[in-house]
Amino acid sequence: MTSVTWSLVEVVAQLLHRDERDAVLGDLVEARSTGWQSLFGILGLVIRQNVGLWKSWRPWLAAFGLALPSSLLLMGFSISISRTYQQVVGPTILKAIGLTVGPGFSLLLCNVLLLISWSWTGGFVMGSVSRRTVWVSAALSFLPCLFCLERFRIDSLSRLCLLLFLPPAIWGVYQGLRIAQIKLSSAIILALAITVLTIPAWSSSGPWIPNWALSWPAWYLVAMARRPGKNAALGRHGRPVERASCREDCKE
Amino acid sequence: MLGEFEYLLISAAARLGDQAYGAAIREEIEATIGRKCSIGALYTTIDRLETKGLLKTWMGDATAERGGRAKRMVRVTPKGVQAGKVFYDAVMRVSRGASWVPNRTGSAS
Repeated sequence: MTSVTWSLVEVVAQLLHRDERDAVLGDLVEARSTGWQSLFGILGLVIRQNVGLWKSWRPWLAAFGLALPSSLLLMGFSISISRTYQQVVGPTILKAIGLTVGPGFSLLLCNVLLLISWSWTGGFVMGSVSRRTVWVSAALSFLPCLFCLERFRIDSLSRLCLLLFLPPAIWGVYQGLRIAQIKLSSAIILALAITVLTIPAWSSSGPWIPNWALSWPAWYLVAMARRPGKNAALGRHGRPVERASCREDCKE
Repeated sequence: MLGEFEYLLISAAARLGDQAYGAAIREEIEATIGRKCSIGALYTTIDRLETKGLLKTWMGDATAERGGRAKRMVRVTPKGVQAGKVFYDAVMRVSRGASWVPNRTGSAS
């Protein structure tokens, strides 16, 4: 195996989980496979594994049921909050009249909390529901962002206002990848808080569908928290791998 | 019921016993069927069978022969043994009377 081909094999093998990478590369060395055979073998394994992931409903839910629609809706909500901020808080600060706030301040506060909660829960569910395809979900979130940034035409607002939802969403994804599920009590409090925060919108002819499209991840977290260990039991690749001898119950 | 390749893999692992790991199973399958077995097919099938509870895998020790890399050891679980028996019985039953199946005296009918 030439050093160049071997380097390529090592690079492609980084796509495998550490234990699996060790086992596969060791097998290829033991079988005295050529560099190209090893390279195509590992590529084939990576492709098979990634295609196999999409046989489950989870990546589809994370990518097309959550990442894509939520990023679009949250961008709209970010703009709405930015404009409300301009109308309510901006003049107050400019007038420098102390703590006096405009009449819509409480609604603005509600909306800011909602934006943070929706973004965080959406990110958390996206990260936890399908960890190995999170890069696809992330790409599907960023595509609408790029599209909207390109076509943004509001002079009084910065383009960055579109992306207000991103910091809590990224934090949620990070948390979702790390801990997979939250405690039932925390999940219930979060879901109830989000539902209560949407109440002001009920009185208007309000956006019911967007509200529920953004709120369901919070109730999904409640449902998942009622099934302890279901998500957490699976390793990064959806299968537990031990570095120890097999338990007695596996013996024939 | 198991698929054809799943059955081959379980049978090879069962035959190898304590020496069953990726490269050995692959070699056993290739020697038996006379065709190349890709590492992708092998490991995705091992993963699938482990998810179904038919195999148990764990990381073994590293050896110099493998460039200091660990083996992924494989053991067939009791559920896997049962699935193998079911597949074998089905193949035996469905093959009965087929022209390529030797009769009791040992010659093909």
